[in-house]
Amino acid sequence: MSLKRMIAILGAFYLVMGVLPIFTGSADHLNILTMILIWAVVASCWDVIMGFAGILSFGQVAFYVIGAYASAILSVSHGISPLVSIPLAGCITGVFGIIVGLPCLKLAGHYVALVTFALHMVLVPFLRGPLGRAIGSGGAQGILTVPPIELFGYAFNADTLVPFFYLTLVLTIIFTLVLVAVIKSHWGQAFLVIKDSEQFASSLGVCSYKYKLMVFALTSFITGFFGALYAHYVGMLSTKMLSMDVFTLLMIMMVVGGIGKYPGVVIAAAITVTINQLLAPLGMYRPQIMGAIVILLVLTLRGGIVGIFEKFLSSRPEGGISLGR
Amino acid sequence: MFFEIIDVFISGLINGSVYSLMAVGLTLVYGVTKAFNFAYGSFYVLGGYFAWLLLVRYGVPGGYLTVIVTAVPFFFVIGFLSEKILIAPLRRYGDWEMKVMMLTLGLSLFMDYSFQSVFGPRVKSIPSFTEDIFEFGDFVILHQDIAIFTVSICCMLGLRWVLNNTRIGMAVMATAQNPVGAQIVGIPKDFIYAATFAISTILAGMGGILLCQKNLINPMGGSDIMIKAWVITAFGGMGSIRGSLYAAFILGMLEAFVGWYFGMMYVQIATLTLLLVTLAVRPKGLLGRE
Repeated sequence: MSLKRMIAILGAFYLVMGVLPIFTGSADHLNILTMILIWAVVASCWDVIMGFAGILSFGQVAFYVIGAYASAILSVSHGISPLVSIPLAGCITGVFGIIVGLPCLKLAGHYVALVTFALHMVLVPFLRGPLGRAIGSGGAQGILTVPPIELFGYAFNADTLVPFFYLTLVLTIIFTLVLVAVIKSHWGQAFLVIKDSEQFASSLGVCSYKYKLMVFALTSFITGFFGALYAHYVGMLSTKMLSMDVFTLLMIMMVVGGIGKYPGVVIAAAITVTINQLLAPLGMYRPQIMGAIVILLVLTLRGGIVGIFEKFLSSRPEGGISLGR
Repeated sequence: MFFEIIDVFISGLINGSVYSLMAVGLTLVYGVTKAFNFAYGSFYVLGGYFAWLLLVRYGVPGGYLTVIVTAVPFFFVIGFLSEKILIAPLRRYGDWEMKVMMLTLGLSLFMDYSFQSVFGPRVKSIPSFTEDIFEFGDFVILHQDIAIFTVSICCMLGLRWVLNNTRIGMAVMATAQNPVGAQIVGIPKDFIYAATFAISTILAGMGGILLCQKNLINPMGGSDIMIKAWVITAFGGMGSIRGSLYAAFILGMLEAFVGWYFGMMYVQIATLTLLLVTLAVRPKGLLGRE
């Protein structure tokens, strides 16, 4: 997708998002809008690492939770202001990303999935156990009193949803621009080359280790940053965030948006979060239905929504292989 | 102390034998079809509920013999159909491996929560094979443990026999080695893929029937088993049946001893640490082919 079209889609999307709070005052709707913004960035990060760099990383939710817990622990147990702790949490998550990325450099696809998913699996016993309690994770109960972000004596918390929404919007746009810049720079090209053929990449002088570590560090930094933001938004954390339905939600975004078709996930985040909210009255049947949705979407929606549009827009003859992005 | 260690050793052996059954199914599918089945653990739980339905709900005559005899065709059909309907259509596209992982993850979520809404969130128990025990002084072995060990070893040997001695088994091996070559000599590749998936589903269901006598049937218990089987296959080398056999016994022992000495909480951490160390040294697992 050309840079111009990418910017146009993202610009239109965030413009609409920015205008929407004017029309709705209800706390529920604002909550959904804020969550759409947060998930859009997290899903974009997953798309960059999985769709562009071709690394089968399943640790995205784990990075999100690490960021959230890191910032919460820093501000609750060590009294650091959220303004400092959120970027710090991003950096901590980035370091985790590099630590997880290091063993993944030499591993083939499915092993990377296992190692990254292992991070996800270890987090629950770690955060609930004595080790987690020692650093202030609050054990099974979680952290119940995460302080809100304060800027010049003004608190952005659950009571002031509109200002928090715009704060998130600004941060989202900044990081979206960063991601677009990365995708369209020679970094993004390098990711694509590594995905398509690592041997060819190295013959061109593209060091796959360097770029793989870079993409791990970058995506986990941004994911951790938004996890931290989420922590200070909701004000409480527990290991429920690591449950499978959060993971599936993120996965639905990827499938709907199309893997490696960048702005797709952003729009898919909006659709998915909204549908998830609409399914909320179904209670315990919701995860079941979400599972069924994943199956149906993977089977029917091959290129995601972007794929559908491309089919209508492109004049390419049918039958040609268009695995393009 | 000595008898305790023997006890732990035996429980490690039992764990290992059932895990090997589970892991071999997973690695077989991966080795032959290159598809990774995330819903494997849910088929394990389905095995538990299958046994529960027959034994407790309907009380079929013949007990476990009936269960095992009916389980084989039942899981074959289930596995065959799920491959044909869900995975085969994806195989035509470029990034199908990623898609298969996502689809089976969705399938496992769907199955787990379906179990919960059909059978209720509470755990269920099924009667054990026998209640008898061997006693040598302080030292006790449950007949049930011996039975579990025997059945899973028989399944493994049966699988080996099928793979090495029957026409379909040889076709499976040929497809694993070279799918295109197999097709040229007239092996129906799509059928083999579906059959392999079905065989692995039988193994998962068997694992459920066997292990759910010791561990209760938990609708959400599949992911735990899935992770174990996954770790074992990666540890032993994906696609290598012998590797996952060794790995299953090593990790079964590790689990038993770490659980006994440090507490069950550390089992997962220990397992994953061992996996990471192994993969750092040997990126393809113990016996994985380079």
